[in-house]
Amino acid sequence: MSSVLVCLGVSHKTAPVALRERLAVPVERQSEVLGRVAASPTEALFVSTCNRVELYGFGAADSLEARLRAELTLLGGEEALAHAYLHRGEAALRHLFRVAASLDSMVVGEPQILGQVKEAFELAQRVGAARAELGRVCAAAFSAAKRVRTETDIGRAATSMAAAAVQLASKIFGGLDGKTVLLVGAGEMSELAGRHLASAGARPLLVTNRTLQHAEALARALDGEALPFHPLEAALRRADVVVCTTASPVPIITREMVAGTVRSRRHRPLFLVDLAVPRDVEPEVNDLDNVYAYDVDDIQRVVAENTALRADAAAQGEALVAEDLARFLSDRALREGVPVLAQLRARAEAIRKAELERALANLPTPLTEAQAAVVAAMTSAIVNKVLHQPTVRLRAVTPGQALNPLAEAVAELFGLDAASRRSGES
Amino acid sequence: MSLSRLCFVLAFHAYGFGAIAYVTLLAGRRKGMVWTARVLTAVGWVLQGVGLALLLSGQGWRPHGFAEALSILAFLLVALFLTVELRTQAPVLGAFLAPAAVAVWLPALWLGPSAQPSTSGPWTPMLLAHIGIALTGLAVFGVATGVAVAFLLLERQVKGKRFGLLFQRIPSLELLDGLNRRLVLWGFVALSLTLVTGLWVASRTGGARTFQAVEITTAVAWLVFAGLLQARVLAGWRGRRVAWLTMAGFGLLVLSLVGTYGPGGGR
Repeated sequence: MSSVLVCLGVSHKTAPVALRERLAVPVERQSEVLGRVAASPTEALFVSTCNRVELYGFGAADSLEARLRAELTLLGGEEALAHAYLHRGEAALRHLFRVAASLDSMVVGEPQILGQVKEAFELAQRVGAARAELGRVCAAAFSAAKRVRTETDIGRAATSMAAAAVQLASKIFGGLDGKTVLLVGAGEMSELAGRHLASAGARPLLVTNRTLQHAEALARALDGEALPFHPLEAALRRADVVVCTTASPVPIITREMVAGTVRSRRHRPLFLVDLAVPRDVEPEVNDLDNVYAYDVDDIQRVVAENTALRADAAAQGEALVAEDLARFLSDRALREGVPVLAQLRARAEAIRKAELERALANLPTPLTEAQAAVVAAMTSAIVNKVLHQPTVRLRAVTPGQALNPLAEAVAELFGLDAASRRSGES
Repeated sequence: MSLSRLCFVLAFHAYGFGAIAYVTLLAGRRKGMVWTARVLTAVGWVLQGVGLALLLSGQGWRPHGFAEALSILAFLLVALFLTVELRTQAPVLGAFLAPAAVAVWLPALWLGPSAQPSTSGPWTPMLLAHIGIALTGLAVFGVATGVAVAFLLLERQVKGKRFGLLFQRIPSLELLDGLNRRLVLWGFVALSLTLVTGLWVASRTGGARTFQAVEITTAVAWLVFAGLLQARVLAGWRGRRVAWLTMAGFGLLVLSLVGTYGPGGGR
């Protein structure tokens, strides 16, 4: 049975944040899942971001799908399956290309996703779940994503979630000049949000993190001020905008905590942007007067209109992805043909040599060296002429062709070693 | 039809079309429409001003009855909201205030002119100042109330995470809250002066020594606004509850106006 690429997952388009929270498991558990799915010859990839959790597998379709379903159920229960989508073969490839190129993101064109998919691939490589085929697939997906970013305006036109947060903050505060920003968490997303807010005029930037050294490093990078994680209330009293990006499994900013700071804040508006999944801010915080708490799903709705504005750039990106996908499929079809051709030629050469030796040995009068060379050249010419058309046909791959059917047919007709062929229709 | 009446009819139509133009700004801001709304409203304001000047000059500058009080109030309301709208460059505020001005003036046109002056007592400069300050204060609170309504609508959208037309068009919550603070402060000054001049006029004319419902309502409104300003300054109150208090205080002042000039008001 041939191998295929299969993708099973949920995203912001199909599943509510509460479900995605359950599926957002730490790296250790992702490694365990990869280890189970990627039993040789299968390969596997686990993409986990705020907005999507996707399991990719490359292997025999039927057993692979069942294994992926079992793993997703293990992570999120039956509800996860109810919200999941499944892509097979070329559709799975196209999906991965689109995800990496940020064409399937909540904020189309946001730059973080490519780094996140790369991290997922590196993890899969570290645990031995991603090998030759997924390596090629991911390399092609990353290359397509880079083209989309550099050859279209999607990077300029797109606003990241952080930029969407800036837009929302402007609706509350008018402008961000002189507004104090508190970054809770010191990761990449936090840094990006900090830079966006700082470029909009927000000052000062406060950074807090469970590991103070990380907060200090980010504060240095943003020209901000690091604060100890406890007590968080002290930092909240100073802040106008709070951006949360921690990996905490439970909310770290509660309704009681914020309510306790309202008086000392003199009722100043407080805008909480919770970019973390699981959520860092209790949803009930939004019930307080002059406090506005937004999670990632809320921000999705904010950017929906912006997405329409970026439609042109995204359309160009889609065309580039389609082009790169076609090239990848053609290259792979060619790769399928070359080993078959090499084997066919080796087989023909072995037959030629064997038959030539037998014929020469059966001659009553041995041929001179020159005569033997002429006969050998003639047999080589016959083999080459016979194999000329098959060689041309096997190397001629229609652009976008996912499979090389001739390679399969030649291998079948001549009984070539199936294991050495790059089989599959991923 | 008298010339003043003709001016009023034309002004009312200009306000009406101006209000429609302002309301369309909620659907999408177009520069041409902004200026159409502003010009129509300004033309209406000039026409109404001319009409009022013609009318009041013929009455010895004494306003007659509820209708003329409302007419002057609408005139002041339009002047204020045009000023605020131009200063803040937030023409969408007109979508709330222009229809309000039309709504205030509509009963005045329906009621028609009154033959009798608004007060039977002697007309003094202080009485004129009292009436002028009272109506100006009411207009300021009227604009503050329009701003408060805009705040509450936007705040509701921001809280409820609904990003409709109002979310896109209304200026920021902080701008609206700041505007409300300044307007309430100026309105409160005017209201305080209204009370002082009112007491002074009453003491000079030997008016009623006992507090009537109108005075009590006005005093309660003054207390509401005094408390509101104190809460703003001392406790930092802002936002939704301040907007609601502004509307409540304005409601009391409207009751007071109706009590003063309205049917059975006796003034």
